[in-house]
Amino acid sequence: MKRNNPKHAHQGCIALFERLSEYIDRELDPPTCRDIEAHIESCKPCQVCLETLKQTVDLCRHLQRQQVPETFSLKLREVIFDLVEKKPG
Amino acid sequence: MPNPSDPPKNNDNDAELIRSINDGRQELFFELVRRYEKSLYNFGLRMCGNPSDAEDMVQDTFLNVFRYLKGFRYETKFKNWLYRVATSACLKKKRRSKFAPERELSLDEFLPADESAVSKEVPSWASQPLTQVLDEELGGIIRNALLELPEKYRLVIVLRDVEGFSTQEAAEILDLTPSNIKVRLHRARLFLREALRTYYET
Ligand SMILES: [Zn+2]
Repeated sequence: MKRNNPKHAHQGCIALFERLSEYIDRELDPPTCRDIEAHIESCKPCQVCLETLKQTVDLCRHLQRQQVPETFSLKLREVIFDLVEKKPG
Repeated sequence: MPNPSDPPKNNDNDAELIRSINDGRQELFFELVRRYEKSLYNFGLRMCGNPSDAEDMVQDTFLNVFRYLKGFRYETKFKNWLYRVATSACLKKKRRSKFAPERELSLDEFLPADESAVSKEVPSWASQPLTQVLDEELGGIIRNALLELPEKYRLVIVLRDVEGFSTQEAAEILDLTPSNIKVRLHRARLFLREALRTYYET
């Protein structure tokens, strides 16, 4: 980051940048959260940074799950059936 | 006072099922398969990137679970133990195929290079509701970006953000400290965010 961007070059932005994931995950103590919120309120680039990271996390959390292919599912049960048969309780 | 016949505190449905299996009702192992095959298969897809490796991984995992189930310690959550077994099945698989090169991701590489790279507005992909953004194509972009992550970062982000394990649980599954998990997770997320930015903004 260049120094001629006074708003975004200062140490506060970098310190915040390092903790954004913990902030999103609510893993920080309340005073730290308040500091971060106060900073974000007044710093547009950090706000953009937070919002894009939040959305990235949300997208991961909502990835579509695929069904297990039926042929595999049947094969798996056959393999396990053999095991169960071989090794009775 | 807890009733002595009450199941131990840490018990969940799985623990009960496993007790029955270990008491000789082995046919109940199919219930364990039914509960977890879909999540394990999807975990395999995210980690290995192709259906046939994912299938191998799921099968190896269940075989190992079957083999070692007697040694399961009930103070652990079964699902965490299961993913531990699955993770090592994944890592074995991976040594045999091609994967993203191992390298360290540093925070610096994600800092904006200069003033012109600093966005002043939240881009529309991040300000719109998720349901309007997440379509099949974007899903594919994310899946590919996950596969481009070096494995140690991919494991962490897949366990935390895709599978939904907590920091503490991911640390148990991977034998890492929680702070290690947090560091890797943050870098993995930043990597993914770059992939999304590139997709939308170039
Ligand atoms: Zn800032």
